[in-house]
Amino acid sequence: MNETLQATAIAVVQAAGMLAAAPLLRGVIKKLKAVMQTRQGPPLLQGYYDLIKLLRKEIVRSDTSSWVYVAGPRLYFATAVAATTLVPVLLAAAPFEGAGGILGLVGILALGRFALAAAALDTGSPFGGMGSSREMTIAALAEPALMLGLFTSALAAGSLDLGAVVRNGLGPGVLFRPSDILALAGLFVVLIAETGRIPVDNPATHLELTMIHEAMVLEYAGPDLALVEWASALKELLYITLLIDLFIPLGMATSFGVVPLAVAVAAWVAKVLVFAVVIVLVESTNAKLRLFRVPELVAVSLGLGFLALAIRFL
Amino acid sequence: MTALGDYTVPAALVVHGLTIAATLATARRSRWCLWTTFVGASVAVALSATAAWLVLAAGQRIGGVLFVHAASGLVVDYAVIPLSAWFLAVLGAVSIPVALYSVGYLPHAVPRTRFAAVGIAFNVVLAALEVVFVVNNVIGFLFAWELMTLATVSLVATEHESRTSRRAAYLYLIMSHVGTGALVAAFLALVSATGSLSFSAILNGTAVSGPGREILFWLFLFGFGVKAGVIPLHVWLPEAHPAAPSSISALMSAVLITAGVYGIFRVCAFGLGTPDVAWGLVCMGIGMVSAILGVLYALTQNDLKRLLAYSTIENAGIILLGLGAGMTMLATGRRELAVIAFAASLYHVINHATFKALLFLGAGNVVMAIATRQLEAMGGLLRRMPWTGALFLFGALAISGVPPLNGFISEWLTFQALLLGFEFVPGLTRVSFPLAGAFLAMTSALVAVCFVKAFGIAFLALPRSAAAETAHESPIVMRAALVALAGLSMVLGIFPGAVLGVLGRVTTSLAGLPSAGALSRGALSVAVGSGPFAQVTPAVLAVAVLGALAIAATLVSGVRVVRVIRRAPTWGCGGLLTPRTEYTATAFSKPLLMVFREIYRPTREVEALAEVSPYFPREVRYRVEIEPTFERHLYDPIVRGVLSIAERMKVLQAGSLHAYLSYVLLLGAALLYWLGGVGE
Repeated sequence: MNETLQATAIAVVQAAGMLAAAPLLRGVIKKLKAVMQTRQGPPLLQGYYDLIKLLRKEIVRSDTSSWVYVAGPRLYFATAVAATTLVPVLLAAAPFEGAGGILGLVGILALGRFALAAAALDTGSPFGGMGSSREMTIAALAEPALMLGLFTSALAAGSLDLGAVVRNGLGPGVLFRPSDILALAGLFVVLIAETGRIPVDNPATHLELTMIHEAMVLEYAGPDLALVEWASALKELLYITLLIDLFIPLGMATSFGVVPLAVAVAAWVAKVLVFAVVIVLVESTNAKLRLFRVPELVAVSLGLGFLALAIRFL
Repeated sequence: MTALGDYTVPAALVVHGLTIAATLATARRSRWCLWTTFVGASVAVALSATAAWLVLAAGQRIGGVLFVHAASGLVVDYAVIPLSAWFLAVLGAVSIPVALYSVGYLPHAVPRTRFAAVGIAFNVVLAALEVVFVVNNVIGFLFAWELMTLATVSLVATEHESRTSRRAAYLYLIMSHVGTGALVAAFLALVSATGSLSFSAILNGTAVSGPGREILFWLFLFGFGVKAGVIPLHVWLPEAHPAAPSSISALMSAVLITAGVYGIFRVCAFGLGTPDVAWGLVCMGIGMVSAILGVLYALTQNDLKRLLAYSTIENAGIILLGLGAGMTMLATGRRELAVIAFAASLYHVINHATFKALLFLGAGNVVMAIATRQLEAMGGLLRRMPWTGALFLFGALAISGVPPLNGFISEWLTFQALLLGFEFVPGLTRVSFPLAGAFLAMTSALVAVCFVKAFGIAFLALPRSAAAETAHESPIVMRAALVALAGLSMVLGIFPGAVLGVLGRVTTSLAGLPSAGALSRGALSVAVGSGPFAQVTPAVLAVAVLGALAIAATLVSGVRVVRVIRRAPTWGCGGLLTPRTEYTATAFSKPLLMVFREIYRPTREVEALAEVSPYFPREVRYRVEIEPTFERHLYDPIVRGVLSIAERMKVLQAGSLHAYLSYVLLLGAALLYWLGGVGE
């Protein structure tokens, strides 16, 4: 019982911490992008201001919609938050170790995606349908690449449990294998695709025919929109943390204590920042791909996954 | 107690027989007839499910004699081995709600005069399935197998006025018979090799060896594969399943395909001795192809029941994938891994049965309400049919494999088996496992696309037709059946440990497998692997999501300043928002149609009718069709070949009595000579 309580406490703290940090990550990425474009850019904390503003607003809902429209953002948000409890962030173990591991994580995010995509169809707006269709399509294409990448990393640990993968990465042995570079590259493409970044999608535009994720949530306003935005930010942080866990777990705390935890926090922040910089570089130096070129990009990612697997294990 | 248990299976068959008699007796009073036949069927199925429960939970041995033919000395005996019991349990879990549903559904779907016929065929199918699952004798098995096919054909042809129904029934009949032909040949070969008609003698793995075993494997795989509906033997399935009344479609998709799976398990995997690696790989390959192509075809369907039928092919693929992985591992001597794969496969059998029955029955409600199966004519049904809508959504989530529902847990087990397979199976064979994993991941993501489409287009936004605007919710018996199936999927999802405990008895009874019960960690959890184990507890995932939902609710209601919820029309891009401006089912799957155009090979026609200027068309017609690859490139040549041979054989059928008499004479003489020759 005590263990359950402890795990729950860690889960709550971790979820709260990641929820609190997620808008900041978006702010940092926006600021860095502005710097790249020699603009001033919005303040770092703009994400928080936006969320507070949205949460205080009245709720406006389409008169053609049903409860699915209301449930969509809530489930999307809830699954993203629940997913944080399955990922090791600072400690080398996920709060809920036995809940489902990597596959539980993928499954629970799929639940949120399903809910939001269904909700997008509920208003009867053609944009909702367009966004829903495209988001699901890209997710379906990215899924095998994601799974293959996860497989490659999980095989080294012999387990699809993220805590086990991290502890294996922290253990003695080679720090970085050549196959990891390929697998990391493959999974980075998946990260771009799943979080709706350039060159797959552009989070900063509402250009009618090119938007994907934004089209899906076009009809949402006020607190509903706040939940979607917050959850998207959280998912981005979550995917980055997942890549950190799989490939560069260095610095994560293996025991409770002020010093290991402080080190772990510093290491995690630094690694997330590195990823943010890479995302900014990719976004700033690429143009958005046409929708029907995205499968080629994802196929590259799938190929990288297979190569990684082949190099590592054959 | 043992004695009582032994009576359950014959009692079930007797109840089926009595029900059929009572149905005939009440045939003229349609209401009575309906209740009699389906209540009788439920009682009988409950009896056979009791047998399953006694075997699986209490570990009883149940067996006995069904039929004795004194003149030939034929004794048809049966034995409820744990594998049979598992399939009997699946049958019981699904067909009782289906029978209940039929009572409410048939009056709206079938003319009164046909109630008796449908009821009798329904009972015959169930009785035949029960016999197929438990019988221990080749003659009894083939007889029941054939009876099952014929009764199903008559159910498919219920609406025999329609040409499509007749065609579907005919196609099903032909495909089934080709399959049965293979089974007869294979069983006869086994019988003549051992001189026994008993399954326990011919399926103990020592009956044949060498190349004969190879041929038998292929014959059995073909024969059972037709029933299981795996690609490329699937062509009948998307025609036959939608053509039947919806409750029968549910029965066919949920239970009848498992007869094929049972056969592959019983014979191909465990009846011919330790399987070859190649056999396992063949099964995995067929499974992968069925899964991915099944879901790809399902995606492009705009007929709700056809979409569900193609999804059945996909699920049969997943089942076969697990089975094949298990066979591969068994062949390489990794029994402790094989048990995970087999458990995943068997678990998926019951999972698919529950959610596919739920979805087909939900589709039945919709078809009953608006009298069409076309997604493009639905829309907005969730407001008019709240129960059906919510339950269909439940089924859609379950089949998409999201936690904490039951589809997730069997996919989780399959993935674990594939991962461990890659780690521990030696040689190049192991490359097939991550490949299968990638295919399975893609399949499950595509299933989500498919069911977002099916649910979203049918139940959300504005009604797309006048019928959809005036749709009504279905009667309570029908909703009760859906609720029962949804509850079952929930239980199967939340208590995987308990289910694996039961499966443990099944796996230990299969040659040389350890117990799957070892994977269970209490009722709520499952764990696999040695060393750092991987564990899943769907209940924890559910609690985490529910907790987070509470946070979301607090955020939304706690921070807000303006308390009112305002309703406003959806922005119609400056025009009026009508059903015609909604995203259509065709449009929803269009991106994937484009991405996989090499597989679909779509042909499309765009026709613009303009009066004044081509830039302002009055009407635009758009048609897209995908190429029926297997029909065109595999079956058409076969059909053409058969027809041309038949054409040539017409020479024999000269129409002259003299010629026919001379055939009889020649044949008689030849027979006499041959028999005489043997006598020497």
